[in-house]
Amino acid sequence: MTRYAMVIDLNTCVGCNACMAACAMENQTPVWKNKWRTYVHDKEIGMAEQVRRRFFPRLCNHCSNPPCMTVCPTGATYQRADGIVMIDPERCMGCRACAMACPYDARYEVSYHDIKEGRAFYGEEELQRDSPGMDKCSFCAHRVDKGLKPACVETCVGSARLFGDLDDPNDPVAQVVASGAAQPLMAYLGTRPNVYYINDMKRRG
Amino acid sequence: MTDVTCFSADCNKSKLFWGLLALGGLVMLSTLSAYFYIEHHGHIVTGMNNQIVWGLPHVFAVFLIVAASGVLNVASIGSVFGKKIYKTRSPLSGLLALTILAGGLAVLVLDLGRSDRIIVAMTHYNFKSIFALNMIFYTGFFAIVGLYLLTLMDRKLKPWSHPVGFLAFLWRLALTTATGSIFGFLVARAGYNSALYAPMFIIYSFAYGLACFLVVQTAMYKWNNIQIDEYVLGRIKNLLAVFVAASLYFTAVLHLTNMYFAKQWDFERFILVEGDTYPMIFWLGQVIVGGIIPLLMIFSPGAAKSPARILIAALLVIVGGHAQMYVTIVGVQAFPLAIFPGYAETSSFFDGVVHPYSPSTLEVMLALGGMATTFLLTTVAVRILKFLPIDKLDQKH
Repeated sequence: MTRYAMVIDLNTCVGCNACMAACAMENQTPVWKNKWRTYVHDKEIGMAEQVRRRFFPRLCNHCSNPPCMTVCPTGATYQRADGIVMIDPERCMGCRACAMACPYDARYEVSYHDIKEGRAFYGEEELQRDSPGMDKCSFCAHRVDKGLKPACVETCVGSARLFGDLDDPNDPVAQVVASGAAQPLMAYLGTRPNVYYINDMKRRG
Repeated sequence: MTDVTCFSADCNKSKLFWGLLALGGLVMLSTLSAYFYIEHHGHIVTGMNNQIVWGLPHVFAVFLIVAASGVLNVASIGSVFGKKIYKTRSPLSGLLALTILAGGLAVLVLDLGRSDRIIVAMTHYNFKSIFALNMIFYTGFFAIVGLYLLTLMDRKLKPWSHPVGFLAFLWRLALTTATGSIFGFLVARAGYNSALYAPMFIIYSFAYGLACFLVVQTAMYKWNNIQIDEYVLGRIKNLLAVFVAASLYFTAVLHLTNMYFAKQWDFERFILVEGDTYPMIFWLGQVIVGGIIPLLMIFSPGAAKSPARILIAALLVIVGGHAQMYVTIVGVQAFPLAIFPGYAETSSFFDGVVHPYSPSTLEVMLALGGMATTFLLTTVAVRILKFLPIDKLDQKH
C-alpha cells in the first residue's frame, strides 16, 4: 500500500512564499481574494524572551481519519487508496460542513465570481475549473499520478518540503517520521494528519 | 358561534390578509436578492470567513428547525398523551411544524454555496455524515407530519391520528437528536464534543416550539376577537415554564461538565467571561432575557389572566433562543483551537486569536427569509383551512 505524506522542515523554511506561488499557478487558486491551497504563516510563538518568529507553511493535512470526509453529506469529499483526500467538484453543494469540521482551516470556497475572475487571471482556455464549490490542497494528485512531486515540494527554495510514501521504509519521509523528529499538528484531535513538521525550537530571533 | 376560519374572506379582513402577504413578500424579495448576490460572489462578501464558517443565517435556520420539531410537541401531548386541551391545538401545531421547518430549511438551502445542487444532496448520501442523516429526517418529518395532519383533519382518517401521531413524536425526537448531534460530532471546535447537545436541543426545541405556538395562537385569537380561557392559558404557560426551566438546567449542566475537564477551561472562560461579546449574549440574551425574565413573568400573580404577558414571555423565549443559537454556533467557532497547547501564539492566519465576526446586512436579509417563508405559508394555510383552536368547556380535563 501507499500512504502519501509530507514533512515540512521549519528550520529551512525561509518564508519566501514560492510554494504559494507555485501552487497557485498549478492549481489556479483564487489568489485575488487571498485564498490559497497552501499558505505560509508569519507566526510568533512563545512568551517574553522565549518568543520566536516562525514561518509556518500550512495546507490540507490529508488526515487518515479526515473529519471533513465524515461530515460531507453528499460524499463529495473522498479519500483515495493512497491516502490523498480529494473533493469531487460535481458532488459538492457548498454546504461548508467540511470547512466547519476541518481543524486546519484548509478549505475555502470557490464562487461563480471566482470562476469568472479565474478566466481573466489564468486564461480563458487554461482555466481547468468550471464549477464553484469547496476547494483545498490535493497534494497535486494529478502530478503525483504521473510520478511527479507536488508543485510546492518541487519549487521549495530551501528544500523544506519533503513528499513521500509512509509505507515505504526506504522513503526519507517515512524514515523522518519514524524517527520521531517530525510531528503532526493537533494530533490530540485524533484526525491522524499526514503532514508532519520538524520543529525549530532551538532557533531564536 | 364564532366563525373558526380566522382568515377567511368572510372575516372581512381581506385587505389585512393581502397586506400581510405583501409584507412577507417584500422580505422574501430582499432575501432572494441577498441570496443571488452571495451565490455569485461567494460568502467572502458576508461577515463569514474560513474561521466563522456558519454565521447569522445558520443561527436563524437552526433555531427554526429546532422550533419546528418542538412546536409539534403540542400535538403530541394531545394525540400521544391524550390531553384534551392540546388535542384542539393539534392541527395548528402540525401546520406550524411544517411551515417553520420549511422556513428553516429555506435559509439553509439559500445559504449553500451551490443551492442548485440540492438535488445532489437528495440523491447521494454519505451515511457516516450526520448532515446526510438530517436530510433524511427532514424529508421524513415533512411526510410523517403531513400525514399526521391529514389524519387530524379528515374524519375518515381520524382513527389513525393516534398511531401516526406517535410515529411523528418519535420522529421529531430523532430529528432534534440529529440536529443537536451536528454540534456534538464536530472535533474541530473546542466548545462542541459533548453528548449533551442532543438531549439539550430536544429540551430547547420544547421551549422554542411552544413559544412560537403561543405567539401564533395569540395572534389568531386577537384576529378573531377570541379570549383564551384562563384555565387553558394557565396550563400552557406552566408547560412553557417547565420547558424554559429545563433549558436553563441543561445549559448549566453543559457548562458545569465542561468546567470539570481541564482542557475546556479556556473555552468556558471565553464563552462565559472574557470572550468578546459572547458572554454578554449568553448571560443577557440566553439566560436573563430568554430564561429568567420569562419565568418571572409566567409565575407573576395574575399571569394566567393576561395573554399579553404570556405573549411577551413567549417572545422573550424566542429572542433568548436566537441568543442561544448565536452563542452555540458563532461563539464556539470564534474560539481558536490550540495548535500548540501550552504556548502563546499569534499568526497571520488567525491561529491562537479570537476569530472576528460581524454579521453583514446581506446575512440579515438572508436570515430573515426563513421567518418570512414560515409567515407566508402559515398565513395562507390558516386562511384556507380551519386551524384556529376552539376550546370547549367540557374538554378542559
